[in-house]
Amino acid sequence: MNLQEVETVPLITVVGPPNSGKTTLFNYLSGKNYKTVNYPGATVEYSVAHLQKKFNVKANVIDSPGIISLSASSPDEKVSVDALFDHPVFGFPDLMVVTVDSSQLSRHLLLVKQLLNSGFRLIVALTMNDLLKKKKLGLSLVKLKMALNCEIIQIDGRTGEGINNLLRVIEEELEQIKISGKDPGNISITKIDRDSLLSLYKEIEEIERDVVYEISSNGNGFNLEAANSQLKLVVETSSGITNKVDSATLKIDKLLLHKIWGPVLFLIIMSATFTSIFWLAQPIMNLIDDFFGFLSSESAALLGNNLFSDFISTGIISGTGSVLIFLPQILILFLLLGFLEDTGYLARGAMLVDKPLSKIGLNGKSFVPMLSGFACAIPAMMATRTIPNKRERFLTIFILPLMSCSARLPVYALLIAFLLPAEKSWLGGIFLAVIYIFSITSSIIVASIINKFKHKIVKEEDNSSFILELPAYRRPKLSFIFVNSYMNAKIYLKKAGPIILAFSIILWFLTYFPNTNPTVETNNLSSEEITQAKEIERLSTSYASDLGKLIQPVMTPLGMDWRVGVSLISAFAAREVFVSSLALIFKVTDENDTFQQSMIQSMREATIGETNQKLFTAATITGLIVFFVFAMQCLSTVAVSKKETGGWRIPLLQIIIFTSLAYLLTFITVNGLRIIGIS
Amino acid sequence: MVMNMKKASELQYGEKGKIDKIDFSHPSSQRIIEIGFTPGQEIELINKSFFNDPLAFSVRGSLVAIRKNEADCISVS
Repeated sequence: MNLQEVETVPLITVVGPPNSGKTTLFNYLSGKNYKTVNYPGATVEYSVAHLQKKFNVKANVIDSPGIISLSASSPDEKVSVDALFDHPVFGFPDLMVVTVDSSQLSRHLLLVKQLLNSGFRLIVALTMNDLLKKKKLGLSLVKLKMALNCEIIQIDGRTGEGINNLLRVIEEELEQIKISGKDPGNISITKIDRDSLLSLYKEIEEIERDVVYEISSNGNGFNLEAANSQLKLVVETSSGITNKVDSATLKIDKLLLHKIWGPVLFLIIMSATFTSIFWLAQPIMNLIDDFFGFLSSESAALLGNNLFSDFISTGIISGTGSVLIFLPQILILFLLLGFLEDTGYLARGAMLVDKPLSKIGLNGKSFVPMLSGFACAIPAMMATRTIPNKRERFLTIFILPLMSCSARLPVYALLIAFLLPAEKSWLGGIFLAVIYIFSITSSIIVASIINKFKHKIVKEEDNSSFILELPAYRRPKLSFIFVNSYMNAKIYLKKAGPIILAFSIILWFLTYFPNTNPTVETNNLSSEEITQAKEIERLSTSYASDLGKLIQPVMTPLGMDWRVGVSLISAFAAREVFVSSLALIFKVTDENDTFQQSMIQSMREATIGETNQKLFTAATITGLIVFFVFAMQCLSTVAVSKKETGGWRIPLLQIIIFTSLAYLLTFITVNGLRIIGIS
Repeated sequence: MVMNMKKASELQYGEKGKIDKIDFSHPSSQRIIEIGFTPGQEIELINKSFFNDPLAFSVRGSLVAIRKNEADCISVS
């Protein structure tokens, strides 16, 4: 987006309280084709996009963070609020679209009134109209328009209903601005204190009394004329409509927030979510696995035994395969999280865990970031912005790398498959559950220890608070969740894919050069044995081996050798690279088995150096799992941690503490297991 | 009607109360007001979490969860 465009193309800012459907609307307007940019000098981000071409309106759209009021309670919120008035890149907006949940009119009008009082030109987009109807309430658009003196449009951002109306009004407003010119003169931040808030709410209550009416049980709720004729009666007879909480929501909460059943169901829902990731993804993963195993061996056979062939079959195909194989798990994780979020359950989860989490220095609002951490720590760290208390937020960011992210899944999948004999592979889900429970328990312990040093993490004392709206339960829109998960998986793949592929190629280079055509003893050997001997010779004289010998002393106490060491180092780029590195080092190409089977086969045969001692044993594999639970390995996570905490202190502490903890615990695990007789 | 003042945190399950005033000295009071707890509004204690904290109130047709110590700053009658 160049600057000239910024000056000539009108700017629309989408504003709204959390849960008002703001981001859904923004996604619809932008077609999810947006850029995420940082405010200069701040950790706060905003998304910016062109209005979708198909709408035929030329405008830039900005998504702003959800706020309930123009008063800021954290430095981040202040940046967001200030940017509404004077955006550092785009200046002040020509037009604002404010999303308002019509079933929560009186609460959401607060922001609308504040924006109007500040002098913004705005259109109110009324969302969640189905919820209002469910409450047997209706509202008069005409009256609301009169009361607020701005355009009101009913929309559903999930289905796109009403969007055409919204676009028409946007177009009209922009036309008017073109004629009258935009006038920033009146824009001013009005002072907001508790007394003015109270009087603002008094005004809003009057508006609500005026526009909201009850729908008679036999009447048609959205017949405006009928409603308007009824309205008179209602307003005159009743002393005000009481907007009650959706009754179905209350019934569901009786169970889901029940004193005993609430936490029990919470645990069941969470464990069902995580085990189903494994069960549901496995068949698809097997298909992908077979496909790449086939592709790799076919291309090797087709291209013959040369450098190019090896590059294609091991460097490229195995590398790509190891990226794509865990895509089903990520997709399913995103789907399930999206489902839980769209129903409204996640907020209940946050409420249920607030008390226990606050005991270890976290907040109920850490729950959603922690849950997202099971997909990927990067979006999870960004999600911590909803935690108002800085110390709680930093502590959440601190422990997020311990959440078992989806990049660890392929690693665990491989290591678990190694531990289990083929006929007992159904145990995999249980093993994985054990690893998850272990990592959650560890993160709790780590958080409570770090919490002891909380004054070292963030010095200033701040009010710890938990104020969270529990949205009404809604039947999730599956198509919406599917599209969203697809988008998220695509973004994820775009980000992780190139890194993994690049590392596969670098690693292939390191393991293939400089001795590309080694001379080996060929007496009495079959051609297959010669190929194998050559590969062993090539690898042991390769650059990777030179590098590996440097780290051999570090690996020996863990009962492992340089080959694992090289794979562990490359896993610092991204954890899943570990699998593709092992695949490269142990040359998984020309066998008829599936990718994973042949890989496990060569892992079982591997010995340390010239000895007969097996490299991969129950002890070392368990040790590796422990290592992956704790180690801070992902470069992108380090980068985001630095960005979100505004410095190197937290990410450096994370690297030092988690990685040394990983090494120490792996050492204890491997040697402990050996002492008790499990080699 | 006899005025029977108590804190919102002292309400029982399903008990309703009309907000009398908000204690401005509580650090969370501004947020509490912004989310909709204002004098004159009727609130009801809908749910308590596992350890009786946080508490979920109905206010202005929405459910809002706040911590027990935050509910302390809301006086109801």
